[in-house]
Amino acid sequence: MKIIKDKVAKLSFVALLITMTAAMFYAPTASAHGEKSQAAFMRMRTIHWFDLNWSKEEVPVNDTMTISGKFLVFAGWPETVDKPEVSFLNIGIPGPVFIRAGSWIGGQLVPRSVSLELGEVYEFKVLLKARRPGDWHVHSMMNVQGGGPIIGPGKWVTITGSMSEFVNPVTTLTGQTIDLETYGLDNVYFWHAVWFAIAIAWLMFWFKRPIFVPRHIAVSTGKADTLISAGDKKVGMLFAVGTMVIVAASMGATNEKYPVTTPLQAGLLRGMKTYQMPEATVSVKVDDATYRVPGRAMQMTLTITNNGDSAVRLGEFNTAGVRFLDPAVHEDETAYPDDLLAEEGLTVSDNSPLAPGETRTVEVTASDAAWEVYRLADLIYDPDSRFAGLLFFWDESGNRQLVTVDAPLIPSFI
Amino acid sequence: MSASQSAVRSRAEAVQVSRTFDWMILFTLFVTVLGGYHIHYMLTGGDWDFWTDWKDRRLWVTVAPIVSITFPAAVQACLWWRYKLPVGATVSVVALMLGEWINRYMNFWGWTYFPVNFVFPSNLIPGAIVLDVVLMLGNSMTLTAVVGGLAYGLLFYPGNWPVIAPLHVPVEYNGMMMTLADLQGYHYVRTGTPEYIRMVEKGTLRTFGKDVAPVSAFFSGFVSIIIYFLWHFFGRWFAKTDFIADDAS
Repeated sequence: MKIIKDKVAKLSFVALLITMTAAMFYAPTASAHGEKSQAAFMRMRTIHWFDLNWSKEEVPVNDTMTISGKFLVFAGWPETVDKPEVSFLNIGIPGPVFIRAGSWIGGQLVPRSVSLELGEVYEFKVLLKARRPGDWHVHSMMNVQGGGPIIGPGKWVTITGSMSEFVNPVTTLTGQTIDLETYGLDNVYFWHAVWFAIAIAWLMFWFKRPIFVPRHIAVSTGKADTLISAGDKKVGMLFAVGTMVIVAASMGATNEKYPVTTPLQAGLLRGMKTYQMPEATVSVKVDDATYRVPGRAMQMTLTITNNGDSAVRLGEFNTAGVRFLDPAVHEDETAYPDDLLAEEGLTVSDNSPLAPGETRTVEVTASDAAWEVYRLADLIYDPDSRFAGLLFFWDESGNRQLVTVDAPLIPSFI
Repeated sequence: MSASQSAVRSRAEAVQVSRTFDWMILFTLFVTVLGGYHIHYMLTGGDWDFWTDWKDRRLWVTVAPIVSITFPAAVQACLWWRYKLPVGATVSVVALMLGEWINRYMNFWGWTYFPVNFVFPSNLIPGAIVLDVVLMLGNSMTLTAVVGGLAYGLLFYPGNWPVIAPLHVPVEYNGMMMTLADLQGYHYVRTGTPEYIRMVEKGTLRTFGKDVAPVSAFFSGFVSIIIYFLWHFFGRWFAKTDFIADDAS
């Protein structure tokens, strides 16, 4: 019996080892950016991305594409997230599969951090140059100091070609055109090799002789002074002086070779140009809002007043990059990512044109699997259970206006 | 064989065993220092050493020597006071830089495709050699801390300048001036490292015009002196053999 038990134990151990070893051979690529894991209230109440456009879905290496659009810095920014006084327009990609050839907010290049104002809309553009072939999920993204990365909608883009063909030519202010991909690499290798060689020479000078046991015996028996000879000291002096001479000479030679150098550039960019949306003539009051867990649907009771001079209809509810559309009013023509688009996800109890001066209370339902897929339903577990989003209204001439909503959300579990 | 009998049968064999021990201990020491020092340096020096657009004339110059003189001081304490071997700093730094190169090449380039000219490690070897030589010549912890520690801080920036200078050549890019290192940081997207995390050119050291690097280096050297003392004592404490009976030195 004991023999059988031992055999089972041994085989189990071997099986465990084989399983663990086999697991190492299955390491799938992590292509996404954890956008679904980010707290729902952060995605709903911080940066609202809209009018996004990915200029291409397939790009050869060395070719460029852009992501452009607008973002609203939400006025009801949550207290638990630092305000975007120091922010950086980033791009959510798995490492430098593209290089960021340019990024602009309101037409201003933003290689550095910027200060954003709550309640304002900004227009942005990011120019990307394809570098590494593959299928990549490309997100808009805003990093906020003290708040973390706030990732926007992502779309799959394919880069074709070979990375070995990638070049990154840059012309310096001293008139030299270099390939930044490999610039100075030989110089890096050379100097590191030189210093490694010197260090190894110093080490081998000591390691060529007996090291630990005899030296320890000598030290323990009070003969430590015999271990360093006058010759050793001379060699040591040679290494120390040689080191300082090489450092000084190489620095001097470098200064001659590169007489024009500047410090790294840093600093916050303020006063970013905002984008002026057409002034909203529609006002919206959220009477109540519930999220029906079994139905994956959010229901809002809205009292809408049209203060403008033409009738309007509600066409879109946009929150956390998920767009719920009423196709009778608005259809997407921008090839927005399918998983973030609920083309028939918006239902309004009475979506007939709201006449100028009219006030109407309607039931609005935004329903789609995206609530679950994008874990927006987790909002009910957040510390500040409020939702927020953008409502887009269209008038008869096709003019659009944006209204923000921000209200408590009550979950319904039945 | 009883415990009183020797494990070797001749002097030649004893020498051979001793040399084998040497290389085994040296290998173990090297790999252990490589691991410990590497983790320490990544946690404390981290981004300043990872990216060229962090290697500025103020904070990089200040931080890197201060946080990197630690293990050299500790390993020196062990190797010098126990074996009179003046190689502790150099062994440590060579181990660290080898580990860093493996990391930068395998991980930063091999896995995530950041160009090596953007992520190469800092050169710490000149300061380490001088630190070892000062200890050997002076046979004094205090002298090594004061002279060697200061030299360690002072040699760092010029020792790296031949590699860094080409990346500080200015470029005009879409209407803004930046260095090639800045441009590397901008071009090669780091999703998890936004620009505001970059701690460069910060501080109040503004009265020296463009010549702040020597001032930063001196400051770094002074603090390195203190850190050297601290870690030298750590090294001596860890090199004790209290756990071996009859040898409580």
